[in-house]
Amino acid sequence: MPKLGPVEYAIPFFILAIIAEMLWSKRRRPDAYEPRDTLTSLALGTGSTAVGGLTAALVVAAMVWLYDHRVATIGFAWWAWIVCFVLDDFNYYWAHRTGHRVRWFWASHVNHHSSQHYNLSTALRQTWTGFFALSFVFRIWPAFVGFNPAMLLTCGAINLVYQFWIHTEAIRRMPRWFEAMMNTPSHHRVHHATNPQYLDRNYAGVFIVWDKLFGSFAGERDDTRIHYGIVKQLGSFNLVWSVFHEWIGIARDVLSAPWRHKLAYLWREPGWSHDDSREGSDKIRARWEALQRDPPIQAD
Amino acid sequence: MAVPFLAIQLGASVGLILAVTWLAHKLALGNDVRLRDDAEARALAEAAICGFHPRELALDRAGIAALVRGADGRVMLLRRHGAQFAARLLDSHANTRLDRNFLTIGTGERFYAPVTLDLGDQAQVWAASLRRLAN
Repeated sequence: MPKLGPVEYAIPFFILAIIAEMLWSKRRRPDAYEPRDTLTSLALGTGSTAVGGLTAALVVAAMVWLYDHRVATIGFAWWAWIVCFVLDDFNYYWAHRTGHRVRWFWASHVNHHSSQHYNLSTALRQTWTGFFALSFVFRIWPAFVGFNPAMLLTCGAINLVYQFWIHTEAIRRMPRWFEAMMNTPSHHRVHHATNPQYLDRNYAGVFIVWDKLFGSFAGERDDTRIHYGIVKQLGSFNLVWSVFHEWIGIARDVLSAPWRHKLAYLWREPGWSHDDSREGSDKIRARWEALQRDPPIQAD
Repeated sequence: MAVPFLAIQLGASVGLILAVTWLAHKLALGNDVRLRDDAEARALAEAAICGFHPRELALDRAGIAALVRGADGRVMLLRRHGAQFAARLLDSHANTRLDRNFLTIGTGERFYAPVTLDLGDQAQVWAASLRRLAN
């Protein structure tokens, strides 16, 4: 049997936590779960694990190649683990931010956001196309600096496991000191929201300080009802469509766009179009801010 | 060895997924959610598109969908999707069918299924107004 990592050991805990949250949902928020949505999310998670298992060897090979050409050897000292974890979380922040701001990467990451529910099963709603999108390149470069690939993989897995519990509406706020430093259910609800003021905010994995440092932080407001999902909701539980809809959208746009704009549909932000006929998060937020300053007069 | 283990892991995962989904179904989570009233439909329409200001609204009698006309003349379809609602702006009446009090509306999108709204005597009024959209 292959050696199990932190994610594999956490799976029984994931399942038990989902069942516990369902029982909470039954008593407090019966619409927090929906069986077909849960089925889609968990199927996405399983598919992601399967594809990840098949492609892991290539990612590890790339890491090992970088490590073989490293500029230093950092080793396994206790402080190296801390530095590696913080550095990996920093890399996660930028990978995640790029995953929202560059359509090529968004086509892969959108799978995680396309549920209109926000519960622990949403945490397991993961992409099947992350390897194809080459998202891993953001996380492997520390091997070249001298961090051992095994250490990098372990830190990445712990980062992933940490992010499971923050996908819930059952926890309102953590203690203030914790909210100030760490990513929490409250911060991550904002990240999954489609409310204009919350779009493209709170990209953090473990430490929310990255968002505060790089200007992408928004705090959750108690007077605002959060709507989850994506700007144009899928309206379908079809698994294959859920996985590939944005890739298909990119393909259609690239094929139909004038030659000089074709590549821009890959690297520009989601919602960008060459004829300005669509809206991305920046435009939507700008309109929302304008409406806050100058609300429309109700005719009726 | 790695591939058989992956296959076992996959099989176990599928079993667990089905068990968890069955539990969600058994607990009746997300069961039969409906639009309660016009106010809820208006709020969802406003939330679906920033700057959309509902002016007229027709609520399906069972509360599974609504048609909303904005102050700018755009028409939005709100359709139940599981325990939530998914919106689309209508830009064509090509997929609209009227059958007495029932108005069936599609968007032409393959994965956004058409919905039939029971609008009572409002069905004909809305069908007529939707004909003003492009074909």
